[in-house]
Amino acid sequence: MLSAGINFPPISDVLNWRSIVFGGTPFALNKVGLITLVAAGLTLLLFFVAGHQAKLVPGGVQNFVESIVDFINNSIVYDVMGSEGAPWAPYLTGLFCFILFCNLFEVIPFIQMPATARMSIPAPLALMVWVTFIVVGIRNQGIGHYFKNAVIPSGVPGALLVILIPLEILSNFIVRPFALAVRLFGNLLAGHLLLLTFAVISEAMFVRSIGLVVLPLPFAMLTALTGYEIFVSALQAFIFTILSALYIAEAMKSQH
Amino acid sequence: MTTVFIAAASSNPILPATGEIVWSVLSFLLLLLVLGKWAYPPVKKMMADRAAKIRNDLDAAELARAEAQRTLEEYREQLAQAKREATHILDEARQTAEALRADLLVKAEEDVTILRARNQEALRIERQRVIAELRTEVGSLALELAEKIIDAEVDRAASQTLIDSFISEIGAAQA
Repeated sequence: MLSAGINFPPISDVLNWRSIVFGGTPFALNKVGLITLVAAGLTLLLFFVAGHQAKLVPGGVQNFVESIVDFINNSIVYDVMGSEGAPWAPYLTGLFCFILFCNLFEVIPFIQMPATARMSIPAPLALMVWVTFIVVGIRNQGIGHYFKNAVIPSGVPGALLVILIPLEILSNFIVRPFALAVRLFGNLLAGHLLLLTFAVISEAMFVRSIGLVVLPLPFAMLTALTGYEIFVSALQAFIFTILSALYIAEAMKSQH
Repeated sequence: MTTVFIAAASSNPILPATGEIVWSVLSFLLLLLVLGKWAYPPVKKMMADRAAKIRNDLDAAELARAEAQRTLEEYREQLAQAKREATHILDEARQTAEALRADLLVKAEEDVTILRARNQEALRIERQRVIAELRTEVGSLALELAEKIIDAEVDRAASQTLIDSFISEIGAAQA
């Protein structure tokens, strides 16, 4: 039987990593923790190099970094938040780069692990965004106004409010961060497992010579999916960032 | 496939690990702090400076273009002015020449008239002189001829009067 020759690793082997240092303590650093450090370090390195180059006509790293800054500023900050959003540009740029690089380790050879496929990264990020937009809302509108505006939709008959207020609370304060985290986590976990599946099948067919004839099929799929996952990495980073910007922008100015 | 489920049950792949949370939060907060304070502003400043420079350059180019346009207009105006002046000068010169020509023509005609009158006068005087001379000569000749023909002694003075009246008659008949 064909499947008997294919040995899928246990799922915990491809998601739960042994700690490298500080094992057994809350500071246990494993592969995922290391990836987050590298993602942060890489972002800073790129920005420092770009800032150091500071050429009038940008090229190389400076060009790349400026493209990201331009993209975040134009497609997210000004489109979603308007000119008042300018102070949030560094925060959103950092968020985007951090998620993007954490995601991209999914397709980096020999690492091949998106840090965001562990709930340990999307959840705290979503939580930070959640705290941020609530704090911004309270600071800009006052605690009473903010929560009143956030949970009571205007122009709705009183009888409906009984149903709508719980729904608004649920959607604005519970579903938002949850959806933000789960969307990123789910997409990257699925991508990771998909790549893993096709890699395992290709490997089994090649190494054990059980299906060299059909090897091109899973291998082509693996190649195509690798490209697709690069796209998903960027897309999910963009979605997470633009939704964060949207929540903060909403909190900055009352809609009602 | 059984091993997968056993592994999944022993360690839930969805639940986050404490160490990972700690390091991801630390990394992200560190990133935000350093990025916001030191790494982002130079890049943003560079981009803003470039945008300002480009805007300034465009403004300067626009100014220069306007200036060039203005100068061109000035030159065109000067050229047109020069052309007008040249035409004017030519016209004047043509008029002057025309007037001069007319003057010269009139003067020449006057000169010709005067010259002609003077010549006629000279001619007339010469003619009278010649006529007078001829009259004398013809008289003497006629007298000599008569003397020889009639071979007679004639009173010269009386004959001279006769001859003169005769010639006058001839002259009157000729005129």
